[in-house]
Amino acid sequence: MDWTIFQFLAAPITASLIIAGIHAYLGLHVVERGVIFVDLSLAQIASLGAAIAVWQDYDPHSAMVYWMSLGFTLIGALIFSMVKAQKAKIPQEAFIGISYAVASAAVILTLSKATGESEHLRDMLVGNILSVQWPEVWTTAALYLGIGIFHYVFRRRFLEISMDPKAATSRGVSIRFWDFLFYASFGLVVTRSVAIAGVLLVFCYLIVPSVGAMLWAARIGPRLAIGWVMGVLVSMLGMYFSVNFDLPTGATIVCTFGLALIVMAALKPVLFRHAVS
Amino acid sequence: MKFKNMIAIAIALTSLASARPASAALKVVTTTADLGALAKEVGGDKVQIDSFAKGYQDPHFVEPKPSFILLANKADLLIVVGRELEIGWLPPLITSSRNAKIQVGASGYLDASNNVKILEIPTGQITRAMGDVHPAGNPHYWLDPGNGRRIAGAIRDKFSELSPADKAYFAQRYSDFDKRLADAEKRWDAAMAPYKGTKIVTYHRSWPNFVERFGLDVIGYVEPKPGIPPSPSHTLELIDEMKRQNVKVILVEPYFDLKTPQSIANQVGAKVLVLAPSVGGTKEATDYIQLFEYDVNLLASTLKTITGK
Repeated sequence: MDWTIFQFLAAPITASLIIAGIHAYLGLHVVERGVIFVDLSLAQIASLGAAIAVWQDYDPHSAMVYWMSLGFTLIGALIFSMVKAQKAKIPQEAFIGISYAVASAAVILTLSKATGESEHLRDMLVGNILSVQWPEVWTTAALYLGIGIFHYVFRRRFLEISMDPKAATSRGVSIRFWDFLFYASFGLVVTRSVAIAGVLLVFCYLIVPSVGAMLWAARIGPRLAIGWVMGVLVSMLGMYFSVNFDLPTGATIVCTFGLALIVMAALKPVLFRHAVS
Repeated sequence: MKFKNMIAIAIALTSLASARPASAALKVVTTTADLGALAKEVGGDKVQIDSFAKGYQDPHFVEPKPSFILLANKADLLIVVGRELEIGWLPPLITSSRNAKIQVGASGYLDASNNVKILEIPTGQITRAMGDVHPAGNPHYWLDPGNGRRIAGAIRDKFSELSPADKAYFAQRYSDFDKRLADAEKRWDAAMAPYKGTKIVTYHRSWPNFVERFGLDVIGYVEPKPGIPPSPSHTLELIDEMKRQNVKVILVEPYFDLKTPQSIANQVGAKVLVLAPSVGGTKEATDYIQLFEYDVNLLASTLKTITGK
């Protein structure tokens, strides 16, 4: 194996570690809330915004496309925070699935009316981790750091509304407002991550570390720690497999996540023989 | 072990950057197998050639792999199809390669489309009414043997510039290829001559140079826009148009799904033909001349059974 390749992969590796960091944390919320597919849905709603801007003859690389996708992300966040407040029997996942399907189809419809570079637009929205360049890595790191600080400052609020919304309501906390803040910040992160790493990979970074951690621990602190370690290890291992067997990097990391989860599940009875009753 | 490798490669890189020894083979990377095949015709054993996209892959969408970056890093010359064909995947690869020689505009970067015949270049203002338009023209220009010859000529000139010691060798290889291609073209023209003006439908706009060269007439496309599924009205219009103009052949590239073209063909009693758009697109298309050999023979024999000519 040729190890020099890793000097060229420094940017993708850094990007995957940054993504692993924030997504393992956000995944904890998402799994607690039971809104597993919300990231796919928000990313698709953001794509719709970008597609509409392109349809309106804005250059796909222009700032307008970015602001439109951001605007649509906020609209999506608003929808999801409103939907939860409705105490209907319809599960929230249903609305998330519907938004995903409708937004995806609307992107196809919009692009069918757009001229020129439409076939490249989807490539731009769905990134490839191997193609990440340093400037993208740094802007992403800065954005995630900002959102990370925001979540750290209000960590009790965010955890409370995710894990025990009833208690929060009874204490007079506006669930709707905090939910909106959660989904909006979450949408910012996911849209950015999908643009550099692709839908499949981002989904795995979000959900798998969180689920893997739940296999081994119950409390929030240890779960977060396990999630981070898992995200980092799987990223490195996936990169190694990708280079060693010369496979497309994103898909290799996704499959490595699957393998890691199986291994963790298999090890559970061995490691926690006494703890499991 | 790792360190030895790294040092060896570092030394190799620095020596490459300063002056390439005349004996070492020129390292050439091409984006498609067609360009690789043409470079092989001209370069022979004086060059070492690797291609990114396989002939059965859609060159618009190539999934980059780590080995691509390494190939690009070590290359003396990168040959691209250009005309925005590789825009979705190549630019970040060139940046990641950190190889000054192959950056756009550098001496180790050859855009094969620079001196070939390009079709479908829009003139004047591009408006939405024109539908999907490539501002730089249709990038599938290698499917005309005349363009193949022009590309080989450009490759010969570039090879000679980068490796002046082998100039005569490249010139010899080129004229040999030129002759074999000219002989083959006579065969192909003879095989296609009876079917001049035959109306066909193609899936993607991959074939304008091919049909112009062999005198076929494309009256429509299965895919109204790359990547966008055809609307019912588009499909119905196409079926009506094919019936009206008595079109019996639909050409499809190997990387597209056959379902839609097959159902259209069933409705109008036409035949779906999967032609190879690139070297390696089918196992018979082993080099540039064999690619046309395969496509022309398949097309001519099909048209023979349909038209009875």
